[in-house]
Amino acid sequence: MRFDFTEDQHEIKRTAKDLLASRSTLEKVREAAEAGEYDAALWKELGELGWPGVAIDEAHGGGGLGYVELAGLLEESGYALLNGPFLATALCAAAISEAGSDGQKDEWLGRLASGEATGAFGLVGQVVPDGASADVVVVADRESGEARLLTGQGSLEGLDSIDPTRRYGIVEGGLPDGEPMPGDVAAAIDLGCVLTSAELVGVCGRALDMTVEYVKDRKQFGRPVGSFQAVQHRCAQMLLSTEGARASTYFAAWAADADRDRLPEAASLAKSAASKAGIEVTASAIQAHGGIGFTWEADVHWFYKRAQLDAAFLGSSAEHNRRLTALVSP
Amino acid sequence: MDLTFSDQEIEFRDELRGWLDANRPGEEPRGDQDAAFEFRKQWQRSLFEGGWAAVHWPQEYGGRDASLMQSAIFFEEMGKADAPLPANALGLILAGPTIMAWGTEEQKERFLLPILSAEEIWCQGFSEPEAGSDLAAVKTKAVRDGDDWVVTGQKVWTSAAQYSKWCMLVVRTDPDAAKHKGLSYFLMDMEQDAVQVRPLVQITGEAEFNELFIEEARVPKENVLGGEGDGWNVALTTLMNERSGLGFFLQTRLRLLLDRLVEDAKANGRIEDPVVAEALGEMHVRTETLRFLAYRGLSIIEQHGQPGPEGSLTKWLWSETNQMLTQLAVSVCGPAALTEGEAWAHDLLRSRGNTIEGGTTEILKNIVAERVLGLPRK
Ligand SMILES: Cc1cc2nc3c(=O)[nH]c(=O)nc-3n(C[C@H](O)[C@H](O)[C@H](O)COP(=O)(O)OP(=O)(O)OC[C@H]3O[C@@H](n4cnc5c(N)ncnc54)[C@H](O)[C@@H]3O)c2cc1C
Repeated sequence: MRFDFTEDQHEIKRTAKDLLASRSTLEKVREAAEAGEYDAALWKELGELGWPGVAIDEAHGGGGLGYVELAGLLEESGYALLNGPFLATALCAAAISEAGSDGQKDEWLGRLASGEATGAFGLVGQVVPDGASADVVVVADRESGEARLLTGQGSLEGLDSIDPTRRYGIVEGGLPDGEPMPGDVAAAIDLGCVLTSAELVGVCGRALDMTVEYVKDRKQFGRPVGSFQAVQHRCAQMLLSTEGARASTYFAAWAADADRDRLPEAASLAKSAASKAGIEVTASAIQAHGGIGFTWEADVHWFYKRAQLDAAFLGSSAEHNRRLTALVSP
Repeated sequence: MDLTFSDQEIEFRDELRGWLDANRPGEEPRGDQDAAFEFRKQWQRSLFEGGWAAVHWPQEYGGRDASLMQSAIFFEEMGKADAPLPANALGLILAGPTIMAWGTEEQKERFLLPILSAEEIWCQGFSEPEAGSDLAAVKTKAVRDGDDWVVTGQKVWTSAAQYSKWCMLVVRTDPDAAKHKGLSYFLMDMEQDAVQVRPLVQITGEAEFNELFIEEARVPKENVLGGEGDGWNVALTTLMNERSGLGFFLQTRLRLLLDRLVEDAKANGRIEDPVVAEALGEMHVRTETLRFLAYRGLSIIEQHGQPGPEGSLTKWLWSETNQMLTQLAVSVCGPAALTEGEAWAHDLLRSRGNTIEGGTTEILKNIVAERVLGLPRK
């Protein structure tokens, strides 16, 4: 057993972290959020590097690696709060790979892999990351196990969410008109949960790092606030939540590649742990920053907002907890 | 990332399962503590005869040189089989490895085998009335008299002392040295009149732990472990072992408890209540997360040679989850969980000790904040 990335996987993740640290700084995120658009040049570069297609099979123009590698990249993009439609496109590609017809795969996977087209994926009645701006959107219904593929930008109505770092859409009413998809819709949703959890782990990791750095530096009563035990214990709890979400998410990413029988349980474990951690850790980050943390000016709120949207997406912690009980007690 | 066991690990597991199938521990007697201890002693003898008493010990001392992963598998299988903890758990997990790390050849020769065979039971005499979380504040003192040390003082919360032949004793041998420097680590014979053991009744009504009154007890100088004044470092070795493979045993126990609660909730229909279903699901998440964290912790030690943050987090997560789960049982099972003598009632009460024994949760959080996150000390 090796419950850790291989050297190659570590290398992919490290390279991604370095690239994003220079190309997707928080100033860039802020500019993009305030302007309401993504960094197109960065997206083009990521497409050339093969990020969106890392888990797509080679026959369809992808990198032929797995969901473990993709989860590693998504963790880093969450850490950077990458301003680009990476998560949404990866989710869409995973959904088409699982649920699409041969024709749908041939038509879309290659273009999604290269970043030439952007995608989105979501559930009926819910908010969909990048749903309003994607070239192709997959909308699934967990209840009926059906999904539709919608093409053409603007196929979903836009939603001004509290998270301006991303373009959200919303699916109102039932399953929209679009091409039916013949494959395994449940697996597509589970993969979506795993990949969103990976982004949430990155969001938690960054919120924790920013907080630790801040409380070491900020002084009150003549000493760093990070020496106060209430602050220390808050940070320790942030670490426990983050590492728990990380371990569950890595397990689920591995199950997505190597043990599909355990994917439904693993996906819910990961999404439950990561959603709860995301909300708690980013809220704690605001608290530990004091008044500064409550300002638009400081960057912590971007992480809190992303965590809120991600946590609700594809089922909250509470919903996945109930699903887990239903799985062990049908 | 590869979360399957290797061929050797599977072979190890299957050999153990085969042995367990042929050597079922049977039902632990409930309600009679002495009988339960005797039962656990028999269980350890049977493990010993099968060569399974301490897989993590080196072969030369009767272990199997098990890797960290094999040791985890061992504890997981024991938990799954609902096997009791061996009677000499403190000897196997704490005293043995500490003696291996610090002991002279004579000490290893003298002490290790009887630990393994449960012939000599061990207890841990660290805590005192005025030295709990602040272990280095121990006051029990020892003065030299010829070839012996003469020990006087009081220890408290000493688990299994009433059954023990030996005690891992932290004492102050130099009252003038700095707090952490004046300590030594003794291997004290409990079978002398100068050591009085008085059981302390816990909130469960049992008396697992005791007070020790020590009045001029004698410890020959050959029974100092490490050098005079090395007590603090030797004690740290013991404390590090406290959080080893046992965690996997506790995790599987927790999972069995959760499965039992789900069965109870099905039987009485409470599982239909979405609030109950959600709370059970949360326990499922915490229990499995604990397992993933524990395995990840091991992998990281195996890959990088030193522990990541996971090790400090698992005991904390386990103890809190055990408390939450048994509390949930009260709302799921109703009066049965609050009735004296019922298993859930016992588990509920016993769980309150989990966040205190082996280092309180507050102390663990301090350690995480200062040593893992690098926050400034007070
Ligand atoms: C079931 C059980 C079995 C035990 N078995 C043994 C045994 O076999 N051998 C042995 O030596 N000991 C044993 N102990 C003792 C155990 O190690 C101590 O109880 C524990 O270390 C706490 O010490 P204390 O009881 O003196 O509490 P204290 O240290 O007095 O703590 C009281 C409260 O203050 C908090 N506190 C203390 N210091 C700090 C700090 N710096 N920051 C924040 N909060 C703090 C604690 O978390 C706790 O909530 C056992 C305890 C239990 C419950």
